Amino acid sequence: MSAPRPAPDLSFHIMRLALGLVYFHFGILKFFPDLSPAELLASQTMMRISWLDAHQALFYLAVFECLLGLMLLFNVGMRFASVLFLLHMAGTFAPLFLLPELTFKIAPLAPTMEGQYILKNIVFVAAGLAVFVPVLFNRTAPHSAAEQAVMAVHS
Amino acid sequence: MKLKPATKLGLNIVLAVGLVAFGFLVNATYQRYQGTGLSRLPQTSGAREIPSSNQRIARPLATISTLVSSYISGETGESEPGASETTSPAHGAVGRMTDELQLYPSVTKGMRTPFDLWRYYGRGTTSFGSPVLPMRFEQWLEFHRKQKPGLMADVRQYMDSRFDFSGEAIPGHTMSGGRKPVMVGPVARLPEGIESFEELAKLSPQEIRERDLFPYKPLCHPLQTNAHMLFPESWLEVHPEHRRIDVDFDIPDEYLPEFPPPLFLTTHKELGDIANGQEITLDNYYEIFDGLLTPEQMEGLKELLRPSPTTWFNHTSHRLTESPSQGVACMDCHVNGHTNGAIELAPDSRPNLARLRVDTPSMRGNYNLMQLSSKRTIRSLDHFSEVEEYFDGDPGMQQAIGPRAVKREVTNRMADFNAIIDYPPAPRLNVPGRLIPSLATESELRGEVLFHGKAQCAQCHSGPAFVDDYMHDLKVERFYVGRPEGPIKTFPLRGIKDSPPYMHDGRCPTLRDTVEFFNLVLELNLTEQEKEDLVNYMLAL
Repeated sequence: MSAPRPAPDLSFHIMRLALGLVYFHFGILKFFPDLSPAELLASQTMMRISWLDAHQALFYLAVFECLLGLMLLFNVGMRFASVLFLLHMAGTFAPLFLLPELTFKIAPLAPTMEGQYILKNIVFVAAGLAVFVPVLFNRTAPHSAAEQAVMAVHS
Repeated sequence: MKLKPATKLGLNIVLAVGLVAFGFLVNATYQRYQGTGLSRLPQTSGAREIPSSNQRIARPLATISTLVSSYISGETGESEPGASETTSPAHGAVGRMTDELQLYPSVTKGMRTPFDLWRYYGRGTTSFGSPVLPMRFEQWLEFHRKQKPGLMADVRQYMDSRFDFSGEAIPGHTMSGGRKPVMVGPVARLPEGIESFEELAKLSPQEIRERDLFPYKPLCHPLQTNAHMLFPESWLEVHPEHRRIDVDFDIPDEYLPEFPPPLFLTTHKELGDIANGQEITLDNYYEIFDGLLTPEQMEGLKELLRPSPTTWFNHTSHRLTESPSQGVACMDCHVNGHTNGAIELAPDSRPNLARLRVDTPSMRGNYNLMQLSSKRTIRSLDHFSEVEEYFDGDPGMQQAIGPRAVKREVTNRMADFNAIIDYPPAPRLNVPGRLIPSLATESELRGEVLFHGKAQCAQCHSGPAFVDDYMHDLKVERFYVGRPEGPIKTFPLRGIKDSPPYMHDGRCPTLRDTVEFFNLVLELNLTEQEKEDLVNYMLAL
């Protein structure tokens, strides 16, 4: 028998707000030249995957992150937010491949501080899944067989 | 977790207010950050304040209230990056001209920089260089191996967008060594919508600036984060040890001085080109000069030929050559006392992104100059030799890469040799430096009249070397949006056909381009014939 999926609980909202706050905070810093510690890595990555120059890259990234942050904080447009989130996550991991000289002392197991900062985003991905999966799929729908198996292991 | 709609609305309002407040707090933080040691933004207030502990608590609140009121009233805060030129000293920097400029992009060593760096400004995190690379040396090599092809493709595209390097030479005219032709100009491309330089010259500086039409904007180092000495292909064919892993030269060899150039001595004019078509090196200098120079001059010449470690050419991993480098000698750029067209950044300013690209000036006729160096106004040849020996002038780097090896008595010897390098012969000039009519063409004579009259050249290019030994601010920023370059030393025009490209950064690849440049900058309204006459006159100098 499949158990009905419960409505999002307090932990879901805390996770959502935390994600939103981090996106909003780190996004708004990028509107101020020289204030974001990720400026170098972010602009260099954006310049390698787009036609933008450093200033344009930072501006659009700031808009992108603030928008995503606001959507998470206000719990609106979550389906669209999930697409933005996936794009953003793909972008944040890009320096590992585009700028390995800056992100690894010796690839792939000895990251630099910047590389470690990026690798930690795996926690972000997990948090994002926890927030977006209940939104993207029907909350009252039964758990899939795979989910039930995972729940059984951890129960 | 279900909330009543009213509760949800209330919470959202609280959240929205909180986020707006958060935005103001970040802004206030930004105001406090500017001008501190960590910030790339120059200080905007008159003096750096050191607040008391009470002020430290009170100021963020005051700043927020100021910001709120200024946002509401629509006025910008006094500490905005684009502070007005008219701000009083107590509240901001007088004469600040940053309104239309952008802050330098965040970059580290090796990373690409915009080709239009003149549109940017800012301060460095420190005046002092570091011998530490941002990555392991193996990664440094790999980073540049990947970056260089794309960078060079973009450099070529950029240079092609600015110049039409057609390779066309002026018939019958060669440089003093007789081996290399002088090139036809102008090669600077006119902006779209402008048919001729005459049409462009009819516009006011303001209109040229507003419509972004100026064809002679500055040139930057193609990779200004590393910058440093960049040698042309003609030199690298003979000296592959100076080939860089990160970037190649950006101006075609046809538009550079001949290599190797002739060397003329004031003490032995009867011998003509002492080098006799060779490059003078540590291996052959003794053979060539023994018995012609004084012992002091010989010692000085040897030092000018001896490589010494530089910021990026040295034995450490802080280098731009694949193998460890012995360094660079003075006469690796100033070949045979002249120039091979190699570029560097003027050592007079920081951050490195603000340093102006400079061509290697000729050492010919330095004996006559009262000041040396394009921006530093160095007043003696021995000081000049001392500076040149460690070009980037960074004592912190010297500790790691190699100490300044040359003592004052040795730089004096270097100056002893420097002081006898002469200009090439100019048989059509008389003693005061005027054309001998019987030896000159009609066009050259008309050019001379223009030079001393309508074209205003002689205002700065006067005397036996056609130089006034002053620094002049041409205020070229009147014609484009960019950081003002300030006063730059007048360059002697004796033997000028041997020293392309022209202006301190090579933005004028031919003599004709310099005429077009000054026709615009000095608003001369020269005709086509007058421009041609001026070029012909300069070829005779």
